[in-house]
Amino acid sequence: MNLRKRPVLEGTFDVREREPLPVSDGVVRRARQVAEALFSSQSAPPAKERLDWLGKEIRSFVGHSGADASRILALSLLAITVLGPLLSGKFGFLDRPLEERRAILERVEKSFLSTALLAVKAVLCILYFEHPDATREIGGPFGCLIESGSSPSASNKQNKEPQS
Amino acid sequence: MTPVESCHNRKEPLEIDADVVVVGSGAGGAVVACELAEAGHKVVVLEEGPFVPALEHGRMRPSESLRHVWRGGAFTVAFGLGDTPHINVTMGRVVGGSSTVTGGVCFRVPDSVLATWRKDRGMSELTDAALEPYYEAVEHAVHVETVPMHMRSKSTELFVRGAESRGLEMKPIRRNTEGCNGCGRCNFGCPHVAKLSVDVTYLPRAAAKGARIFADCLVDRVLMKGDRAIGVEGRLGNGKHGKPKDPFVVRAKRVVLAAGAAFTPLLLRRSGISGVSDQIGKNVTVHPGFRMIARFSEDVKGWQGSLQSAYTDSLEHAGITLMGLFIPPAVLAATMPGLGPELLRRAAEVKNLAIFGGIIHDEGGGRIWPGLGREPIMTYRMARHDRSLIPRVIREMGESFFAAGAKEVFCPVLGAPGMDADAFRKFPFEDVKSRDIECSSQHPLGSCRMGMTREHSVVDTFGKVWDTRELYVADGSIVPTSLGVNPQLTIMTLATRVAWHLRETPYS
Repeated sequence: MNLRKRPVLEGTFDVREREPLPVSDGVVRRARQVAEALFSSQSAPPAKERLDWLGKEIRSFVGHSGADASRILALSLLAITVLGPLLSGKFGFLDRPLEERRAILERVEKSFLSTALLAVKAVLCILYFEHPDATREIGGPFGCLIESGSSPSASNKQNKEPQS
Repeated sequence: MTPVESCHNRKEPLEIDADVVVVGSGAGGAVVACELAEAGHKVVVLEEGPFVPALEHGRMRPSESLRHVWRGGAFTVAFGLGDTPHINVTMGRVVGGSSTVTGGVCFRVPDSVLATWRKDRGMSELTDAALEPYYEAVEHAVHVETVPMHMRSKSTELFVRGAESRGLEMKPIRRNTEGCNGCGRCNFGCPHVAKLSVDVTYLPRAAAKGARIFADCLVDRVLMKGDRAIGVEGRLGNGKHGKPKDPFVVRAKRVVLAAGAAFTPLLLRRSGISGVSDQIGKNVTVHPGFRMIARFSEDVKGWQGSLQSAYTDSLEHAGITLMGLFIPPAVLAATMPGLGPELLRRAAEVKNLAIFGGIIHDEGGGRIWPGLGREPIMTYRMARHDRSLIPRVIREMGESFFAAGAKEVFCPVLGAPGMDADAFRKFPFEDVKSRDIECSSQHPLGSCRMGMTREHSVVDTFGKVWDTRELYVADGSIVPTSLGVNPQLTIMTLATRVAWHLRETPYS
């Protein structure tokens, strides 16, 4: 059966255009600072363009995910960036040198705050690795993401390639 | 076909009459709506979430799906009480409900579970033979088929090889698909309309028979006149930022709740119906689930192939089912330990990673509580026996991967590094604190379970809420016990049974 001939529901599709809940600059700033430490190479943070993109995505993701998700993420970020440094005997997280932020997060990952870090890391990773350049760096693109106007069947054929 | 009516920008009031109003458009609600619409009833379906046309799923990145299609961006949690991990309980919030974000796995109710329902709960009419017509109807409607061997991903093949070498019998999975050629992202909406979720099967059939489907409609309560349900009222999602704002009313001769195990009990409570049973919101089972990731030296590219294609019930006697799965690479990268250079190095190895999952056939211990806002609070206290199974689940999966040649495994333990076979075998999983265990669930069930008496259940075996008239429940909340396997087909089968009963039952 040609699947595109299957009767499907019709209606207005507008979820992307909907106005998201406002997300505070503080949340985005904290998330960016954690992301810099998470995704830095040995010495350098990720490119500014990629972090700017991530910042916009964080705003959209949190704003569209609803009030509860927004609260959980904001509280998790607060816990990591306020309580986290205390575990290493330090005050404050924001604007610390990259190495220090990474060391704080490493300590957090092995502490009672690990669940909060997992939540933040999960969201940041999902968003970060969807950036086209980051996707390529981990072996993508991974197929099946249909570009607007392209044929699903064409994308489908590419996907299941012979495996060694 | 009647188009889905989004209420996000609706300006005019919504006040309509129907024969049947169905609250929720997922695996339960869609089935009831379709069966009754095709029987000539005037049906209205109300869905809290938005409408996403079938072909738009493939145009969304996984994170876009999370923010627009999943409830709360998938940040929904059952808080662990006592010696219990917190559990990430995910649900769909969209026209089609969770069926749009499942892997499509279809199991009939295991014989041993049906036997328990009959023996321990007195539901003698629930035999395999009695359920057969309902199974057949559902399996035909959503095209349940066995995943062919050539559709197995290499991730699954590797696990199967290792598990079978250890004596576990691996079996093929059945899924509701047609024409799937595998891109491993069913959990984010099928991009090819090959997974036959209810938004591409039952709901279009219902709409073709005149059922009206409203998206962005939050039902607040059931309207009661004495003991008889006479409709529902709620708010349209047309406020600022999509918040509920303008009130709406649907008057109906019959009300069917199918808002899922997390929300149906809240609706009953908010409607002042909590007095009919003290079981409302209790007895929740979730199938606590655990993932195991393994790194191989060869390319695995687990995203190529069917998302879920093999399982084993060889450990069912112990209460464990192991099940194939995959998650998109970006999500997979998120599960890698480490930060900075280590995380980036690990993430670059996603093509070498295989993944498998294990669920516990749990005794229950979950509860749904009213939250401060409209979202419920879920708690879960794991039974001691279930808790004791977690190390076993982890060990079985890890050993199977090592038997297949894995170099390293990544266990569902927060802060744990990747482990080679030696480190894995020495790791004291029994000593890991519950709070450090990663646990997830896609199967909340049982919060309004069916049964033979109001003392032990919320609804009878045809979904009717005790001591009410014209008020029914047809979703995962009525499943009386944990199943030990994915519940989608069971929910649809029980919903069909409810619907066929209603088809023959005159309005009171």
